[in-house]
Amino acid sequence: MRFVHTADWQLGMTRRYLGARPAREAGGPTGEAQARFAEARLDAVRALGRIADEADAAFVLVCGDVFESNLVGPEVVARACEALGSFRTPVLLLPGNHDPADASCLLRRPDFVRRRPPHVTVLDTPGVHAVAPGVEVVAAPWRSKHPLSDLVGEQLAALDPAPPGTLRVVAGHGELDVLDPDDDEPARIRRDGVLAALADGRVHYVALGDRHSAWADAADDRIRHAGTPEVTDFDEVDPGHVLVVDLDEHAARVRTETVGRWRFVRHYAALDTDADLDALDAWLAARADKERTAVRLVLRGTLSLRQRTRLDELLGGHGHAFASLEILEPHSDLATVPDDADLDALDLHGFAADAAAELFAAAGRASEGAGDVEARDALRLLHRLVGS
Amino acid sequence: MRLHRIRLRDFRGVHDREITLAEHGVTVLQGDNEVGKTSTLAALDLLFDAADSSRRAEIRHAQPAGVDAGPEVEAEVSTGPYRFVYRKRWLRRPSTELSVLEPARQQFTGAEAHARVTAMLDETMDRVLWRTLRVEQHTAVGQADLGGQDALTRALDRAASGPTGATGSTARPDPSVDDGLVARAADELRRYRTPSGRATGELRAAEVRRADAEAEHERCRAALEAVERDVAARDRLDAELAGVRARRRAHGDEVAELEDRWAALQSRLREVDAARGRAVLARERAEAARERREARDALVAAAEADAAAAETAAAAVAAHEAEHAAAHDERDARRGADTAARADAVAARRAADAAARAVTAARDRAELADLTERLRRVAEAQAGLDAAERVLADTTVDEDALAELEHLARDLLRAEAARDAAAARVELTAPAPLTVVVDGEEVPLGPGETRTLPVAGARALSVPGVLDVRVRPGLDEAGRDDAVRERARELADACEERGVADLEAARAALRAADDAARRVEEHRAALARELVGHDHAAALRAAHDAVRRRLDDAPAGQDDLAALHTAADEALAAAEEAANRAEEADAACRTAEDAVRKADTRAAVLAERAADARHAHTRRVEELRAARAEEPDAALATAEHERLTRAREAEREHEALAAALAGDDPDTVEARVVNARAVAERLAGEVARLEREHAETTGRLQAAGHQGWHDQLAAAEAELDAAVREHEAVTRRSSAARRLHESLTRHRDRVRRSYVAPFRAQVERLARIVFGPTLSLEIDEDLRITHRTLDGTTVAFGALSSGAQEQLGLCARLACAALVDPADGVPVVIDDALGHTDPERLARLGAVFTAATAAAGAAQVVVLTCTPERYHGIGAATVVPLAPSRRPRERGASDRAAPVHVADDVPAATPGTVLDLPRAPRAG
Ligand SMILES: [Mn+2]
Repeated sequence: MRFVHTADWQLGMTRRYLGARPAREAGGPTGEAQARFAEARLDAVRALGRIADEADAAFVLVCGDVFESNLVGPEVVARACEALGSFRTPVLLLPGNHDPADASCLLRRPDFVRRRPPHVTVLDTPGVHAVAPGVEVVAAPWRSKHPLSDLVGEQLAALDPAPPGTLRVVAGHGELDVLDPDDDEPARIRRDGVLAALADGRVHYVALGDRHSAWADAADDRIRHAGTPEVTDFDEVDPGHVLVVDLDEHAARVRTETVGRWRFVRHYAALDTDADLDALDAWLAARADKERTAVRLVLRGTLSLRQRTRLDELLGGHGHAFASLEILEPHSDLATVPDDADLDALDLHGFAADAAAELFAAAGRASEGAGDVEARDALRLLHRLVGS
Repeated sequence: MRLHRIRLRDFRGVHDREITLAEHGVTVLQGDNEVGKTSTLAALDLLFDAADSSRRAEIRHAQPAGVDAGPEVEAEVSTGPYRFVYRKRWLRRPSTELSVLEPARQQFTGAEAHARVTAMLDETMDRVLWRTLRVEQHTAVGQADLGGQDALTRALDRAASGPTGATGSTARPDPSVDDGLVARAADELRRYRTPSGRATGELRAAEVRRADAEAEHERCRAALEAVERDVAARDRLDAELAGVRARRRAHGDEVAELEDRWAALQSRLREVDAARGRAVLARERAEAARERREARDALVAAAEADAAAAETAAAAVAAHEAEHAAAHDERDARRGADTAARADAVAARRAADAAARAVTAARDRAELADLTERLRRVAEAQAGLDAAERVLADTTVDEDALAELEHLARDLLRAEAARDAAAARVELTAPAPLTVVVDGEEVPLGPGETRTLPVAGARALSVPGVLDVRVRPGLDEAGRDDAVRERARELADACEERGVADLEAARAALRAADDAARRVEEHRAALARELVGHDHAAALRAAHDAVRRRLDDAPAGQDDLAALHTAADEALAAAEEAANRAEEADAACRTAEDAVRKADTRAAVLAERAADARHAHTRRVEELRAARAEEPDAALATAEHERLTRAREAEREHEALAAALAGDDPDTVEARVVNARAVAERLAGEVARLEREHAETTGRLQAAGHQGWHDQLAAAEAELDAAVREHEAVTRRSSAARRLHESLTRHRDRVRRSYVAPFRAQVERLARIVFGPTLSLEIDEDLRITHRTLDGTTVAFGALSSGAQEQLGLCARLACAALVDPADGVPVVIDDALGHTDPERLARLGAVFTAATAAAGAAQVVVLTCTPERYHGIGAATVVPLAPSRRPRERGASDRAAPVHVADDVPAATPGTVLDLPRAPRAG
């Protein structure tokens, strides 16, 4: 039996670093990059649907967080339904922590129910669902944002061993306790229980969502996270994939297909010399698919006024090409200290030279502590005014 | 820049005129109004500024009427290293020609020539200063705006840093960049803040955007939270509804069972109520009968009580009568006793007085005896005193006289002794007793007795009958005897003088006198003793007489004073005793009177009470009689008994019924029914409320589902983030702009302040020529004169007279002209100024002009005037008189208008109106 395992589509997600437009015009993705990013998430859905169709999969199992929130607008719902309708393979949608089956559940909302393609099923009731002859899916949907128990573990405990000839797939959402040993979180999935259920044949595959990077358990590779099909954050290790699973009673053969096309990159750079600036310039220039790449720079070092101006120009120039390019201020430590060359470059005389010297002194003092940034800014302005 | 020559052709009223200016010092162009002085200046501006193709108003106005030629201007100018001749014609056959003479000869025409001239002027000349230093016609000579003039600034910079080099701004290849920089910094600051500091432009927009974004974000966040709350509320409502509905079903059965029991008890409850009503009614009737009987009993008792009271009152009246009479008797007795006691007291008082008088008389008699005795003693003493004083008065010998007599007696004795010692002696011895007569005296001689007789004189011895012996002394002895006699005689004389027989008598007399003196003293002391208390005997006598007269009236009696005192004291005590008794009797009498009055009052009260009691009793008896007539006492008692019996029967019946019902505990059943109904009602209300809330929450959630609150919040967050970033960035830029502007202006002002000193020195130097040596000026950083101090009085520039302002303004311009570098200098042009200056000051201003232009390389000064006398005081002036320059055919008409200057006109045959110019300034 073959099916496609995926999760965490997070439809309706926006990223603030992808730009904004005035909030009054809200009601959909904002900003140009934002809109492309939203479209990319739907493209990923369409792509995995195509893969499922081509692989002749029995179903596509989405393990939670189909939507970014139960409160996304009708436009997001409509476009999601359009994307779901672009392929034939049946789809099973499990409510996750972002779209739990509570009173505001999107998957039960009239606008979704009305538009939902017929091959789409919502697993909003816990328990065993017969999805195909000889195939059962054990659903552990989230019914609220803060469940007080191991939802998967509860389902597994209630199961008898699968009847002969029946394959059982568990659909769950949440971290395994080994991945995130947070004692205070009651909803952690106990790995021991999962392994036991696999071992005694109650289930044959444990499909999980919530972790946005693809992952397989080392002890039993039938416990898997599919990861998000399109990247959502900078700290994700291996996003952008879906799993095509061939399952029998004993084993699962898993093929990883890449559908994501965006990249979120964090780059560390030390900036002290013009050569460092050259290197950063070159690195940025070498990025492929800039319009689908968001870059966060963590910069350390000390620059002169002229170099700082060059850095600003450099970032300004590349910034237009990238979907997002920004310095991660909290993790950066980049000092701007005017040097004598900066002062000479101004080529000032008389009182203007006196004023410039005073500002240099203030800016130089400040480099030792939390400083006279204003003096530095004033100097940079002076550079600009002299140059004009 | 220096102007050498200006030529105007067909320019306004000027047909053709060339003016040559002195290269140094002051050139005065003098001429009447409309002669074309101001036109010359205007022409120069047009030459430099307006392209030959220009048709602007000034140029069109420069076109002379009815002439087929365009206005034309030509000037010869040197500036910096350049010297050139520049000519332009406008409107008709426009042309521009430039001949550069120095440093190298070049020719340009058209736009190229214009551009070249503009470039040369921009390179070498401060054109703003050129305009600033000009004083236009008919405008007040106010302050020139000299701050920020580059040429002047350079000069002041040089002056300020010259000898000391303090500012450190020595080499400044292109100082003009500086001021542009400040202006650009100000422009940059104005992008963010208004001059008053309010946010504007980008900064304002960023602030607005941020505030909007914050509000929007808050709105979305609140909405999202409301949805979250509704989700939680729905969960809670679902659970609560299920619980309440289950409780309500269970409760329904319990209510039905209780209601049945309650209905059965209700009818019995009504029966008990009826019985209770009957019992109550019977009891009320019994009570009424009892009350009527009790009222009759009370009436009877009251009548009896009234009779007793009337009797008691009568008895009281009778009882009081005896008491009343006794009081009267007692009072009468007291009154008698009181009268007797009073008489006793009077008698006793009289007796006491008599006793006191007896004591006084006895005392007087004793005193009279004493006074009589004293009078006798006084008389005695007075007699003794008089006798003694008489003795004293008779005495002639005093101590001194006696001492003299004694002395004389001693002298006699010595003389006798001396005689006797020297005299012969006769010794007589008789063997048997014998009497011898010596000098007539018989001297008996015992047996064997010897007598020695001195023989001082003649002595005669005789034994009578027997013998007479005469013994005579020798001569010496006779002398001594004479001395003795002399002395004896002296003594006898003295005694006689004193009235005494001899010395012994004198001594006795003195002793008698002493004795008398002692007695005088004794008698005086006695007198003083007896007269003590009185001045003299007469007073004593008077006292004595007074006492005796008193005694004349007094009764005679015994004089035992002690007995009399005792009697008087006893009489006084008796009198006091009698007075006390009289007072006691009086008090008793008054008490008795009071008792009588009280007894009278009480008798009246008792009589009244007895009357009242009698009346009350009468009325009560009447009342009782009437009541008995209506209903006899026996009837009342019978009715009471009957009704009481009936009431007890009804009560017993009710009690029996009620006890039977109470056995079934109807209160508990009722309480439970009431409670069960209330619970049912409350549950129904609870369900309704929960269902309503559920419906409302569900409705809100459905509506929220279509709002896309997540999307809105995401957008709001992104917008807020962007707005905050933008605001912070703009704020940083605006702070930087403010900092830079502040820093630049502060340093510029500091430098300017250093410029003020040399400028002020120069202006003051010139102005002192006009105003005198006490003048000093205050000049601000923009090189404006703010205050003038003269003779210790400081006045703001604006408050000065027009004349003073004009003079100071001129001094400032000329100071500027004197200060700036010759290479930078521009001509100072003054078009008919100083209209406000009096002749005295005008003369001094002349000296100012000379002083300002005296330095080598000082700027040109050009003065245009129609009143040349204003400028006569300028020593170093080159005077150029201007006459009208007219076309030949116009001359006739104009001659009539201005005949005075016809003679000055120059024939039109010459190429223009070339004035005969002095070639060099006349030395002042
Ligand atoms: Mn997720």
